[in-house]
Amino acid sequence: MLLSRVAESLYWINRYLERAENISRFVEVSEAMSLDCPPGSAEPWLPLIDASSDRESFDKRFPEKKPDDVINFLIRDRLNPNSIISCIQMARENARQIRDVMTTEMWEQINILYWNMQEGEAIWNKPRQEQLSEIRRECQLFYGITDATLSKDLAWRFSILGRLIERADKTSRILDVKYYLLLPSLDELGGVLDELQWIALLRSAGAYQMFRKAVQNSIKPNSVAKFLLLDPIFPRSVRYCLDGISNTLKTIDTSPSTENPSELECMRGLLQAKWSYIRIEDIINHGLHEAIDSLQMDLNKLNVLIQEKYFIN
Amino acid sequence: MFSSYQPKNSFDEYFKDNVNSAREILIPLLSSLDNMGLEELNRNHSAAKKLLLRHGATFRLNDTGLKGTERILPFDPLPRIISKDDWVTLEKGLEQRLEAIDLFLDDIYNSQKIINDGIIPRELIESSEGWRPQMIGFKPPLNKWCQISGLDLIRDREGDWHILEDNLRCPSGVAYFLENRLVMKNIFPNLFSGRIVKPIDEYPSYLLKTLQELAVWTDTPKIVLLTPGIFNSAYFEHSYLAQEMGIQLVQGHDLVCNDDYVYLKTTSGLKRVDVIYRRIDDDFLDPLNFRKDSCLGVSGLLDVFKAGHVALANAPGTGIADDKMIYSFVPKMIKYYLDEEIIIKNVETYICHYQKDREYVLENLSKLVVKSVAEAGGYGMLIGPHSTTSEIEEFANKIKNNPRNFIAQPTLELSTVPSLCDGELYPCHVDLRPYILRGKDSWVSPGGLTRVALKKGSLVVNSSQGGGCKDTWVVGK
Repeated sequence: MLLSRVAESLYWINRYLERAENISRFVEVSEAMSLDCPPGSAEPWLPLIDASSDRESFDKRFPEKKPDDVINFLIRDRLNPNSIISCIQMARENARQIRDVMTTEMWEQINILYWNMQEGEAIWNKPRQEQLSEIRRECQLFYGITDATLSKDLAWRFSILGRLIERADKTSRILDVKYYLLLPSLDELGGVLDELQWIALLRSAGAYQMFRKAVQNSIKPNSVAKFLLLDPIFPRSVRYCLDGISNTLKTIDTSPSTENPSELECMRGLLQAKWSYIRIEDIINHGLHEAIDSLQMDLNKLNVLIQEKYFIN
Repeated sequence: MFSSYQPKNSFDEYFKDNVNSAREILIPLLSSLDNMGLEELNRNHSAAKKLLLRHGATFRLNDTGLKGTERILPFDPLPRIISKDDWVTLEKGLEQRLEAIDLFLDDIYNSQKIINDGIIPRELIESSEGWRPQMIGFKPPLNKWCQISGLDLIRDREGDWHILEDNLRCPSGVAYFLENRLVMKNIFPNLFSGRIVKPIDEYPSYLLKTLQELAVWTDTPKIVLLTPGIFNSAYFEHSYLAQEMGIQLVQGHDLVCNDDYVYLKTTSGLKRVDVIYRRIDDDFLDPLNFRKDSCLGVSGLLDVFKAGHVALANAPGTGIADDKMIYSFVPKMIKYYLDEEIIIKNVETYICHYQKDREYVLENLSKLVVKSVAEAGGYGMLIGPHSTTSEIEEFANKIKNNPRNFIAQPTLELSTVPSLCDGELYPCHVDLRPYILRGKDSWVSPGGLTRVALKKGSLVVNSSQGGGCKDTWVVGK
């Protein structure tokens, strides 16, 4: 038995931490990438703001759009609800609400992370790459602690659900934004661009090494898209996340109706089937951006259905 | 370590009059402290503060927002020591007092013998802010009203113990009491070696048992702790206790009353609740029956409680007995209900409601402590000797306008215990809040939360007024 409010908090703690982790990936890799970029080549910064759909509020507050503005906006800006510091603050607020449900280790991890992010803490004196990898490590430590200390009950399942939905969304966003950044015109689709930048994209998604292992060939845009969207065993691929989401929802719903499935049932099944059986060529032919756009809308819809079924009552 | 320490004029709990005359029970601790040295003590003190922050043992004041500052309750590393002999007496005294108070509550909401026999005037009862006429004629489970209380004790200049206040609604601080011990064991293990400090870790088990016993209708009660939420200054304690007991921490909107029962809103529908350890004041508990504007409570909760379908700890209405004026009648209650003399004395109390007392109080304001009867947390207080003429005048007017609302007591020199202030040792004033649990049996925590006025010369120990806390050891064979 799990309180609706508690389920919702667990779901959001994990979404916020996953979001923070992904932002740290985006920034870290873009920064590294910008060092390799020849002058005049694709500008890696503003697409990061697009990736979290915060372009409007950013433009309003930072009309000069300097790289440092972007980085601060994404990392330390308390007025940006999607900055790393805001995500961690929100994760901790949610965690405070449900401390009794989390294990002590889980709570302490999130609490330490929060205090480390406050002004005057040592983390901000480190080089930025260090800051970012530390934040990412701390988030991953939280997942590890969760998996190692929390009973595999409903509380755990809602945690996983939040984590996977956010991850599917962010992996698809990074691919979407970078794909078009790296391929300025559709004519070049399939052409060879600077391999370094594709490596950077893979690193953004935390997928470089596993991609190399899986695809022992030179790095091509289509194979990167295929790996990030459709790989069945890479834990950050969209397909893997959707499998996990579907399976988790199946175990949460104790009385599914096979004759007359609920909207949520249909949604999770259709999404899982679609991304298990679709071919990358079909996606590319019909437009990668369109496919990703519809995925994100589907994930939003899924979020609403979960909300309605489990969090409000 | 104590070479520059100077005990005050008040009763020092470590030393008889100077640092060469330590109290016998303190000698082993003092030698461990000497081995440690002031520098290491200070270093470990910082480590202790970090540990508390990591555990999230923080509070924030009610009026600060989402990004308000969060602080740990200042923690002092020098433990306060109470001898086993002293403790045995105190324990008896606390049990005696609570027994009488429970009989009083039962009486006052039912047959009202104590009023009819002329021991306590009806007008004083019915004009109290803690009085809940809704509870008239009600008998709570086990006939007990106060399952959880925390009474404040102090030692006077002679070292004699007195009860300062009865906290019978939602007394807080127990999490700090438990957490302080944890921190001491973690950071200062050497101070424990070679002596027997009575353990306190059973508190959550006893609390759980006490709550379970209230559900007289089932052997498998569903118990929850009801909190106002993360903005409440005692929120850390609420989540801590829920976690320690393995029960659910809930807020008002997680609960709903339906068909005379209370239910939890869960991901698999509504589930019945049997016992609620509520940390919300009576006023906010049920907007249908108490304050209409409360959004913290549950509509209809009182009706379910009165129907006997849920147990609330503590029962609504207990506030009448911790009215600071009713306090002055507790010795009479003990005589009346138990036919015993009071074991732990009250502090002499003047009741401004009575003309003779009021005249004395108004003439002697500069020597007295005046307290508002319904307020807690060190608010609504005048400490005569530390106040300016205009503050005294202001209070005199308040008393004249609403005499029922005030009592006065002589200014007590609370006992002192050496404490770290700015890296040095000073004698700081302390009080003590032991916790008493009463289900089928009763249990008194060995020791309690020692609150300490960490500002030099301050007498106010409340956390909302800059006070801190210490671990408290009951030691002896």
